[in-house]
Amino acid sequence: MNIAYSTELICFLILSAVIVSGSLAVVLLENIVYSAFLLGGVFMAVAGLYLLLNASFVAAAQILVYVGAVNVLILFAIMLVNKKEKLKPIKGLKTRKLISGGVCGGLLILLLRVSITTKWNLPGPTSIGEEATERIGEHLFTDYLLPFELASILLLMAMIGAIVLARRDISISTGDINDFKNKKSLINKKIPLLSENSLK
Amino acid sequence: MNSGIDLEMSFTQGVQNLGLSHELAHLLWIPLPMLLVLVSAVIGVLVTVWLERKISAAAQQRIGPEYAGALGILQPMADGLKLLVKEDIIPARADSVLFTVGPILVLVPVILSWLIVPFGQNLLISNVGIGIFLWIALSSIQPIGLLMSGYSSNNKYSLLGGLRAAAQSISYEIPLALAVLAIVMMSNSLSTVDIVEQQNTAGFLSWNIWRQPVGFVIFWICALAECERLPFDLPEAEEELVAGYQTEYAGMKFALFYLAGYINLVLSALLVSVLYLGGWGFPISIDWFSSLIGLSIDNPLVQIIAASIGIVMTILKAYLLVFLAILLRWTTPRVRIDQLLDLGWKFLLPISLVNLLVTASLKLAFPITFGG
Amino acid sequence: MLGFLEKVADYTKEAVSAAKYLVDGLGVTFDHMRRRPVTVQYPYEKLIPSERYRGRIHYEFDKCIACEVCVRVCPINLPVVDWVMNKETKKKELRNYSIDFGACIFCGNCVEYCPTNCLSMTEEYELASFDRHSLNYDNVALGRLPTSVTSDPSVRPLRELAYLPEGIMDPHELPANQKRAGKLPTQIIKELQADKSQEEDNNNSSNIVPNKLNSTN
Ligand code: SF4
Ligand code: SF4
Repeated sequence: MNIAYSTELICFLILSAVIVSGSLAVVLLENIVYSAFLLGGVFMAVAGLYLLLNASFVAAAQILVYVGAVNVLILFAIMLVNKKEKLKPIKGLKTRKLISGGVCGGLLILLLRVSITTKWNLPGPTSIGEEATERIGEHLFTDYLLPFELASILLLMAMIGAIVLARRDISISTGDINDFKNKKSLINKKIPLLSENSLK
Repeated sequence: MNSGIDLEMSFTQGVQNLGLSHELAHLLWIPLPMLLVLVSAVIGVLVTVWLERKISAAAQQRIGPEYAGALGILQPMADGLKLLVKEDIIPARADSVLFTVGPILVLVPVILSWLIVPFGQNLLISNVGIGIFLWIALSSIQPIGLLMSGYSSNNKYSLLGGLRAAAQSISYEIPLALAVLAIVMMSNSLSTVDIVEQQNTAGFLSWNIWRQPVGFVIFWICALAECERLPFDLPEAEEELVAGYQTEYAGMKFALFYLAGYINLVLSALLVSVLYLGGWGFPISIDWFSSLIGLSIDNPLVQIIAASIGIVMTILKAYLLVFLAILLRWTTPRVRIDQLLDLGWKFLLPISLVNLLVTASLKLAFPITFGG
Repeated sequence: MLGFLEKVADYTKEAVSAAKYLVDGLGVTFDHMRRRPVTVQYPYEKLIPSERYRGRIHYEFDKCIACEVCVRVCPINLPVVDWVMNKETKKKELRNYSIDFGACIFCGNCVEYCPTNCLSMTEEYELASFDRHSLNYDNVALGRLPTSVTSDPSVRPLRELAYLPEGIMDPHELPANQKRAGKLPTQIIKELQADKSQEEDNNNSSNIVPNKLNSTN
């Protein structure tokens, strides 16, 4: 056992401990803000795992997309609606928790069984390191072109949906606002944040 | 091109000659670059702070710091020392854990990004293949730290400042990445070393700024926005938000924000010089120059001179840009938040997309000049 | 389609003009960098206050007749005149006089109206103290004369902007004999008087009637 291998092992153990405990904390913590921040930590630890596998491009992409975009958006949403109020007690919370715990446990056992019984092809193919970026691009534009395009269409749809949701139905003509001669025009034009139509 | 001076190789070989195994030598090597990065980043910040104060003073017909050292050159040190010994206050109702982690999360990614800045052929900490992409990924961690410190301060202004900072850096990251993408497309590589090399074929005529003038402007605007420099310093707008997310911070934790801000500025300037101004390249090609004197490029003397010229050139270009940033600070008024987002989403984003498209088509049309 | 293109063209024009203004602004800032600083390094260098500077009030106890005019004209009735009536001599006997410079606005009304001219305004402006009550000056403190900036050996006196020669902004390294731009008030008065007397001379020699008119005026 040489130094490189042992450092790798130690890193792997630390990262996996962080991932497991972090994700447990994300689920179990009462404070939702803590959960969100810990989620970011878990994402980063996953990126660390990718790094250990010599997949630096995937690791960077993981950080960029999950930490930089997804997690920040989650945090934004939490902080903009951060009301410190007690949630209504839900009836039968205990049984619900038990059921969901059971389902999760079952899933875990299933996964464990799969991972133990499968004959892993060890050692796997040697990692290609820096060439990975090119290889990913190649695959995305040849074998996986269809899923790639489908995903982009999905994202486009989501974007249009977001715009439709966020858009105000009335349009304010800027000419009226800048109408300085008729000074009342601004006062008369009370601009509702949500017009009646969009609420229906 | 030549391989130049390889620091790591010579170091590990030197240690191995002392009778240690190769792996141990490698382990010993690992902390050194980190130390080097820290030291050079801090020195860069000290110089920048001094420059900022002196140039601001000159632009306002003041004198600026004068008594700490000759021309006040030790003033940033004095500032740092003061912040170091100041009382570290955590507000009573703040969330102390997040309050402490926030500034660290802001600073660490910035320092890590220094890994990819090349000062010469082999004068960089690690020539990671994903180079510039690593920087973009790392800088996307920063908003989390800002949100964290904004939230944990338990202060309206801090929260608003944190939210603004995060919104700003998310929206400017996209045009920034697109501008970088155009460069990457031309040099066929994400690595900063390759990007510089591809620019250094014919002196300053082959710098990317001539091929990517629009990209240069976009990148510089976005970099200023990411650093929260003056036309875009909304997150800490004194008149509205006291000091934004830094409001509750004092002592060393405040110093971390301060450091992060200036390291980020220097880093952005360095990256602009790497991406657009030919990095370590001298305006006149060194190959041509050495052949003029009649020395071979592999001559150790030429090597050393070339390396030092490279370092000086990189730093010179970067500090020219820092100067521009300081001048901009005293020229432009702060934009409003809606103007900021308008500029980001309605101006820079479409322009950078068009820029990308044009670059792609030019690359297809003229593969020689635009990287085949 | 054409409308859209027009919009794009307008937008580009606007962007270009914005960039132009930005460059103009940068030029102005850059140009400022070569101008010399006009900083007055305060504790070591001080501006010489002008003749009519309204600084801390000086008071002469012996001249004061305790008439309290200064109190009446003061916008906040600030000066405290502490006197007792001497029954035998039937005269006011002044015991104490004080002005609180924490409240004084240095308007100079008291100085203007004092019938005996025992109040005057000095050029002293460094009144800072650790306790606001020590800003309440009594007659002894009010009687002290300030050190003049020009006579203080540890201070380099500098002329104020209005006292500099024409076209010069920097008071440093200015030869002492350089005259200020324009004339001094005394000079103006002197000139006016000279003009007047000349005019009178002229009038005397030429005509007597206007001279009479003048005198009736
Ligand atoms: S007006 Fe003059 S004389 Fe009269 S009380 Fe005041 S200081 Fe004395
Ligand atoms: S200077 Fe004005 S405010 Fe001060 S004591 Fe005299 S009258 Fe009152």
